[in-house]
Amino acid sequence: MRNRPDPVALLALPALLYLGIVYAVPLAGLLVGSVVRPGGVTLAPFADFFRDPFHWTVAGNTLRVAALTTLVCLAIGYPTAVALARARGFAQAAILVAIILPLSVGVVVKAFAWQIVLRRDGVVSQILVGLGVWDEPQRLLFTEAGLVIGAANVFVPFMILPVYSVLKTIDPRVGEAATTLGASPLYRFRKVTLPLALPGIVSGIAFVFSMTASMYVIPSLLVGDRFQTLATLTGRSFLFMRNEELGSTTAVVLLALTVAIVVGSTSLSRRLGGSS
Amino acid sequence: MLPAAFLDIAGAAKTFGSTAVLGGVDLAVRRGEFVSLLGPSGCGKTTLLRIVAGLTAADAGRVTLDGLDITRRPPHRRDVSVVFQSYALFPHLSVAENVAFGLKARGTARSSVGPTVARFLDLVQMGAYADRPVKALSGGQQQRVAVARALAVGPKLVLLDEPFSALDRRLREAMQIDLKRLLREVGTTAIFVTHDQDEALTMSDRIAVMNRGRIEQCADPATIYHRPATPFALDFVGTSTRLEGRVVRTLGDEIVVTTPAGLLRAPGHYLPGSPVLLGVRPERITLGDGGGNRVEAVLVDASFKGARVELHLTAGGAPVLVEAPALPEGAAPGAALTVSWASADTLVYPAGEAA
Ligand SMILES: Nc1ncnc2c1ncn2[C@@H]1O[C@H](COP(=O)(O)OP(=O)(O)OP(=O)(O)O)[C@@H](O)[C@H]1O
Ligand SMILES: [Mg+2]
Repeated sequence: MRNRPDPVALLALPALLYLGIVYAVPLAGLLVGSVVRPGGVTLAPFADFFRDPFHWTVAGNTLRVAALTTLVCLAIGYPTAVALARARGFAQAAILVAIILPLSVGVVVKAFAWQIVLRRDGVVSQILVGLGVWDEPQRLLFTEAGLVIGAANVFVPFMILPVYSVLKTIDPRVGEAATTLGASPLYRFRKVTLPLALPGIVSGIAFVFSMTASMYVIPSLLVGDRFQTLATLTGRSFLFMRNEELGSTTAVVLLALTVAIVVGSTSLSRRLGGSS
Repeated sequence: MLPAAFLDIAGAAKTFGSTAVLGGVDLAVRRGEFVSLLGPSGCGKTTLLRIVAGLTAADAGRVTLDGLDITRRPPHRRDVSVVFQSYALFPHLSVAENVAFGLKARGTARSSVGPTVARFLDLVQMGAYADRPVKALSGGQQQRVAVARALAVGPKLVLLDEPFSALDRRLREAMQIDLKRLLREVGTTAIFVTHDQDEALTMSDRIAVMNRGRIEQCADPATIYHRPATPFALDFVGTSTRLEGRVVRTLGDEIVVTTPAGLLRAPGHYLPGSPVLLGVRPERITLGDGGGNRVEAVLVDASFKGARVELHLTAGGAPVLVEAPALPEGAAPGAALTVSWASADTLVYPAGEAA
């Protein structure tokens, strides 16, 4: 039997062409640029890169901030997605608007807003002092915690929406069946809801992680130059240091790390979800 | 009601928004009994089941099961299994894992889970499918798995919400017999929701006829059919001839009623002048001049039903329905026929009641 191409697959052609032009071609250029040097192909730039302990710090910063932001987004986004999937009518529309509308506010504007909120005399500091959590006002701005808070704010819709779209396809009777069979709420969550929601959670994690790992504007405005991530370092290399070699190397390292982690965590959670 | 009812629902009421869905339902079920809830769409059958299972909180009323008041008990601690209309199998688990789910959730010893699952899969003849994913099953097979899953945990009570409504007629009839046999073997008390009267008549020990959030009559199938307590039960279960009339006089334990079909006698005590509704089941009416009530009618139509013939007649403008062994010789539409039935077979209801 011959495998005839599915004609419906042709519908993906415009997107493929578009991505090919704006994404694949420059990416190939970048990859080539990172290994081609006058005198031939070499992996030396990567070896050099990893010999410098500063670059390890930068890679660590990137992964830590991305992981923390993803966790915060999951912790906030999952319950929101549940509420959204349960809500009906006006309430549901209102929550959806509240999630999607902020996407139309530019990242720069949001980052500036967080600058105000996270200042030493900002709202967060005042509330924490008022609650007695902090003894005296502190500055969250220009700290890693401030960066994670700001980034989570920007990226949480990309966790909520995929989780919601999966949750809403789950028949509520399935959970009720588990309950009437004697499953406690926790058991039901672990054995029914979570495995069924897993595809949405995995894509939410993949979205948020790769977007936070590569964000540039938010760390630039919320932590400044002393805290570098692979993305800000790439930007600095190209824009300020005019060091295209370093720029393409960091860009490729970032890409490789992100792809490895997203693919790895996806297949891991698939495996975990598959066994009961 | 006997005080020893295994399941006792008392005064269950539920209002959604501004619509009263259940208006104080009482129902008592004995241990091991098979009770059907029969009623039209939207009358509150599913709502009543969900209240018993603890999936919906009632506004008022009490549910007692096996001597325990479970009104406020969470659903996972009630020992009440549900077979949903949509089956609601766990799509990420295999057939055997679906059946094992409740046992594992209750912390059943690992060593006894396997044999129990195998036993229940065999009981529903799905043993050969144990390792299949449930998505790859037909509707009837999914239905069997749902029943096995509900019964495997050994619940005190199993609630079945129109479990056969998605199946074709032949499969449905086979499943009815299988389910009845299975429940008898396992000895589980069951409430079975349906809006199919034949299903209810075939399967049930007792039938509760529901209408607009109330149980109009709860009795064994023969009583429901032969002695429907309300015009609604008369209408909803089986077919009948219905004649509206007015009592003209009383004769001992009988009344004489004037109807469009003529003067008819019926058992009962009503004051002369009372408006009444008379009903007769079609198989109680015979062709010819035999019973106490005799009506001259005209044949409109005859439909062949295999063993019997259904005759549609009119008498004085009112439709009369007769089930006869055969069409009378030479009877064609328009023919005049005499039909009759015993006055004791006439059902009487006060008129003006909502039907
Ligand atoms: N969660 C709910 N919110 C609002 N109204 C509801 C809800 N559940 C049920 N109803 C209403 O209550 C009434 C009874 O519903 P129920 O599902 O109990 O009927 P049913 O007898 O099971 O009908 P069917 O045979 O169609 O399944 C219907 O009018 C329905 O619209
Ligand atoms: Mg229903």
